[in-house]
Amino acid sequence: MNAPLSSREAEELLYTEALLLDESRWDEWLELYLPDSVFWVPAWRDETTPTQDPESELSLIYYRGRRNLEDRVWRARSGMSVASTPPSRVVHAITNVLVERADSSEAVISSCFTVHLYDRRSDRTHVFFGRYQHALQRVDGAWRIAAKKILLLNDVIPTVVDFYSI
Amino acid sequence: MLKGRLAELIDDRPDDGVFRVSRAIFDDPNVFDLEMHHIFEGGWVFLGLAAQAPGPYDYFTTTIGRVPVLVSRDSDGKLHGLVNSCPHKGSRVAQRLHGNARLHVCPYHSWSFDSAGQNKAIKWRKAGCYAESFDASSHDLPVLPVFGEYRGFLFGSLNAAVPSLTEHLGEAAILLDLIADQSEEGVELVPGEVTFTYDANWKLQLENCSDAYHFTSAHPSYIRVLEQRKEQTDASVVRSVWESSEYWTGDAEGIQGGSFSFQYGHVLNWGRFEISDALPLYDRATVLAERHGEAKRDWMFNMRNLTIFPNLQIAENASSQLRVIRPVGVGKTEMRTWCIAPKGEAAEAHRQRIRQYEDFFNPSGMATPDDTVSYENCQRGFASRVEPWLQGYARGMTASQPGGNLFSQPLGMEPQFNVLADAQLCDETLYHSYYREWARRMLEGSAS
Repeated sequence: MNAPLSSREAEELLYTEALLLDESRWDEWLELYLPDSVFWVPAWRDETTPTQDPESELSLIYYRGRRNLEDRVWRARSGMSVASTPPSRVVHAITNVLVERADSSEAVISSCFTVHLYDRRSDRTHVFFGRYQHALQRVDGAWRIAAKKILLLNDVIPTVVDFYSI
Repeated sequence: MLKGRLAELIDDRPDDGVFRVSRAIFDDPNVFDLEMHHIFEGGWVFLGLAAQAPGPYDYFTTTIGRVPVLVSRDSDGKLHGLVNSCPHKGSRVAQRLHGNARLHVCPYHSWSFDSAGQNKAIKWRKAGCYAESFDASSHDLPVLPVFGEYRGFLFGSLNAAVPSLTEHLGEAAILLDLIADQSEEGVELVPGEVTFTYDANWKLQLENCSDAYHFTSAHPSYIRVLEQRKEQTDASVVRSVWESSEYWTGDAEGIQGGSFSFQYGHVLNWGRFEISDALPLYDRATVLAERHGEAKRDWMFNMRNLTIFPNLQIAENASSQLRVIRPVGVGKTEMRTWCIAPKGEAAEAHRQRIRQYEDFFNPSGMATPDDTVSYENCQRGFASRVEPWLQGYARGMTASQPGGNLFSQPLGMEPQFNVLADAQLCDETLYHSYYREWARRMLEGSAS
């Protein structure tokens, strides 16, 4: 019987994901996700309420299935997207990590993020910030991401936001 | 002042086959100030949908140029277009994007206004030792000099000396009908507003919506992703509407679409789409044909990018987007965007529309960022005056014809000009209508 996810394991997974995004190690980043994982960035209905039902309301990003993220990674690397080339530099800082619930095979963790982005082309810096909620599953002994919800708080987007900058 | 400069900004000589626009029109701050006065604050602009304030006391806020505007529905259900600025000290009264309020209380000194904008109370009025002249003047929120609705689309003007809304929309109203008639209940905005900015002039967005030429150049990554998905369709990926058409590929032969341009600067570019289940409207195809006839139904399925000058664009291509252009500065623009959908859409069609929308239209999607970054590249390039005239208004010059054609005729629509295009023509003469209306408003405003 495995032990439930510990705070230390939760932090390590989140920091690992952050590092893989910061270093554009996107194949390894995708490996963290289960094939049927959900990747969701809600939009906002108004000043105070994010959208809550992706089936009937708009999201910034909503994917059910990792292959959609694989498409995004492909596009960002393709050299065929001027918005993605040259790539911006990013650093993810993750704080306030809480294990909301955990047993030996599943866990939900919440955290806060800030992503500092520097677009050298336009000499533009921006900070995206908000909260993450990760749903994890233990598969073959390793914790992997079954669902990630990114609640982006500053949602007036300066030109571009992509999977690597939130 | 502008009159003398107009020839430096727009070189419009139809008899010589010349139409050119100067880079200065995009990056001169003096031009921008005049645009705010004469284009946005001097004529009709789009405000929003009646569906954004559906019930009594519902309201939403927007702007006309730099001026804050409140659109409010009163207790009787009547919509009012108001200047959202307190007569007392000028503060914006309604603070939120949208909401419901019987009473709008100014947060600064508590003057209050009802849902029709009428002043209800002035705090401590009796003790205020006001002179009679104060009592004789109105303390209401100023009513927009002109405010009108066409089939749920709301427009206003800060200048009363404008043509009627019917005249302003003219034949382009028929293209709004193609949207409004997709459901007997009309249209609505899917909950969730997405706002983004870009560091470039507002007219880049104006043009891009009508730009068939950029699609395969700016969006190859999106197109390739869709091709890859088509090979390996499964439940996890959303189908693409582009698979129901070849008009954009550059390979298709024969007439694949074209453009219509209208008086007062409204334009449409369009392409042929089949009646395909890749489109969310598909489950209504039979009903819509019964109700409106096949020709009009087929038009509802066509790819259509519509601009109602100067700030409303409705793009029905990869999905359906309503966007409002708000110029912030000569080199900064804010876009407020929504997914627009027929009311009462079936759940699965609705879901498909939303997924298709997110992939293409969002600033977090796979297409729009490649547009907006290109606008920013243009804005940098506009700094050059080595050769000030741009060459992006010349395609289609010998194809443009006055009046309508066999595609506008079934709609009973008579545009000023039309172009019939194969897959590679990619008309640029439709922009001429933008700049002719631009010049008209600028000159008329400068003259008054």
